[in-house]
Amino acid sequence: MAVPGHRLDRMFNPEVVAVLGDKGPGYMWLHNNLPFKDKGGRLYSVQLDDKEIPGIEALGVQNFKSMADIPEPIDYALVAVPRQVSPYVLKDLIANKANGAGFFTSGFAETGEELGVKLQAQLTEMAREARFNLVGPNCMGLYLPKAGVRFSADAPVAGDGRVGFLSQSGTHGIMFSLVSAANGIHLSRCASFGNAIVLDVSDYLEYLMLDDETEVIGMYVEGVKDGRRFFDTLREACKRKPVIVWKGGQTEAGARATMSHTGSLAAPQAVWDGMMRQCGAITTNNLDETIDTLKMLLNARRPRGNGMALLAQTGGQSVSITDAFAKAGLRVPRFSDATYTELGEFFNIVGGSYQNPLDMAGTIQGSMDTLDRILRIIDADPNIDAMAMELSAMFAARQWKGKPETLDRTIETLAAHKERSQKPFLVILHPAHEAEYVASIQPKFHAAGIPLYQSFERAAAAFARVLAYEHR
Amino acid sequence: MSFESVIAQARTEGRTLLNEVEAKSLLKDAGVNVATTTLATSAAEAQAQADAAGYPVVLKVVSPDIAHKSDVGGVKLNLKDRDAVAAAYDEIVANSKKAVANARIAGVAVQHMAPQGTEVIVGMTTDPQFGPVLMFGLGGIMVEVLKDVSFRLVPLAEKDADQMIGEIKGRPVLEGVRGQPASDIKALKDTILKVSAFVEKHPEVRELDLNPVFAYPDGAMAVDARIVISES
Repeated sequence: MAVPGHRLDRMFNPEVVAVLGDKGPGYMWLHNNLPFKDKGGRLYSVQLDDKEIPGIEALGVQNFKSMADIPEPIDYALVAVPRQVSPYVLKDLIANKANGAGFFTSGFAETGEELGVKLQAQLTEMAREARFNLVGPNCMGLYLPKAGVRFSADAPVAGDGRVGFLSQSGTHGIMFSLVSAANGIHLSRCASFGNAIVLDVSDYLEYLMLDDETEVIGMYVEGVKDGRRFFDTLREACKRKPVIVWKGGQTEAGARATMSHTGSLAAPQAVWDGMMRQCGAITTNNLDETIDTLKMLLNARRPRGNGMALLAQTGGQSVSITDAFAKAGLRVPRFSDATYTELGEFFNIVGGSYQNPLDMAGTIQGSMDTLDRILRIIDADPNIDAMAMELSAMFAARQWKGKPETLDRTIETLAAHKERSQKPFLVILHPAHEAEYVASIQPKFHAAGIPLYQSFERAAAAFARVLAYEHR
Repeated sequence: MSFESVIAQARTEGRTLLNEVEAKSLLKDAGVNVATTTLATSAAEAQAQADAAGYPVVLKVVSPDIAHKSDVGGVKLNLKDRDAVAAAYDEIVANSKKAVANARIAGVAVQHMAPQGTEVIVGMTTDPQFGPVLMFGLGGIMVEVLKDVSFRLVPLAEKDADQMIGEIKGRPVLEGVRGQPASDIKALKDTILKVSAFVEKHPEVRELDLNPVFAYPDGAMAVDARIVISES
């Protein structure tokens, strides 16, 4: 769904896309955007170098030597021209009545060079005056999976994305897109916005906040131009949907690095921390924490309380999972008497335990009916707000490999529980000695909508973040 | 003293730093509980003001040229009678003139010496990106060495003030430790919110420090205050 009337609406829902200045032999930007054409969009190229044109036409893309020849207004353009040419290209885009453009071109103020600074000032003034939506420069531009507009040829073009992502860094934008896809998370809209000379993070955030297709917003940000506006926009966005902020440059050394990266001035991290909490944002420190939190937000019921039931397969792991969740500030309460009575009817306490945490492999013995019985009993316990369960690749991989239907039955049992239960449910599957095999079966868990984590600590941290968000 | 007249006076004198008496009077008008402080320009005036405030009293030099009052011998604590006040007045003026040649001395601030409470600080700075930011922390070593402080942007809602107090690591100190009584959290919250409202209403305020604020089992009081205003 679009946001009718918003100044960014056309470029976020493009029907006409142009790639300006792409070059062979790779034609990276045209390749990135071929899915847009396959999905019925009108994709044009602008390149005046005769020796590049045959390669462009071989991709089935219509090339123009001048932007003035493009027969219709462009909704979104990707600009990959040398920096000296960029003001001329911007002038042509404004004349074309284009809605917006991502400037992949770099070499501006981030270099600190006089020419770069001057060119950036020129672009800024031109774009502001024309109210032109300049994305970047020094960025990867937009990634719109449903439309087929991409900044990486590896990024999927699924139409069912629920997460909007904003990134001041091109690498983090691409990395986030690819790693989230590998974790079964699809994006609705994504912008890499680099130097943010015209549109800043608040402009994109406002759009994602209003966009119905975007259920959760994530962002990587190093600094903002207008802190007050960011505060106001973030606070409003957090009232409407969860917003995860991954702030780069949290340390003094890191803040120095942001200066040379995107030229961001750093407010003290403690001020950022207070501001983000005041807005009700979820804060993360890196890519993994961001993805982990998203899994929980997208695939688990929202937590109401911090009383965890911890279901481990063996004794050592029952201790480790408990330490991990307790260190994250969560409780591991006693079960109710009814739960103990019911579990006591069948639980094998030789080499097992039905305290909280559970040590249950010896009782389950591969029986999914028994696992299901345990899940139902714990689920009904009024002392328990949420459940986290360990699966052990160390013990189960041999069987799952030999009889894949046992893995399928396990996933079905867990997915059925997740659907039935009103409590959050997280599953931890450490790769153990079977990293490659575990990676190969993860998509099955993602497809079943089960939030899957690689360590107890990561699962606990994700749960604690979402719980804090619910209690904000 | 209205806010406007204090600002006008400071600007006429080319000052951006309000003196303690001015700062406290503005904060008092804004509803912040501050230790009443008056300005004496003679030993006799100081004695009369001390009588009115109630003993023991504290005397402090008021001078735009002296930032660290105790370093120059410009502060006298725990003065128990009229004679002590007169002697302290003369000594403070002499010490200050000796320490800072040609120091402009507006007078000496007289205040009742507040009983010791748990020390906290409430401060405000203007961040170039985020504008007015409020800070809360425990006073003394906790803020200086451990940087155990929390921040929120102005204006604050009640929930923000609650969380600011709740998220400092030294929070248990406010619950009362080693026989100390618990501090009045509601009064601290009220102080934070009143300062937020004051700063929001007066964008001329660039910096503000209530350091220390004494937290008591019943109430809280700012015993020192400092305000910096914008140049114009």
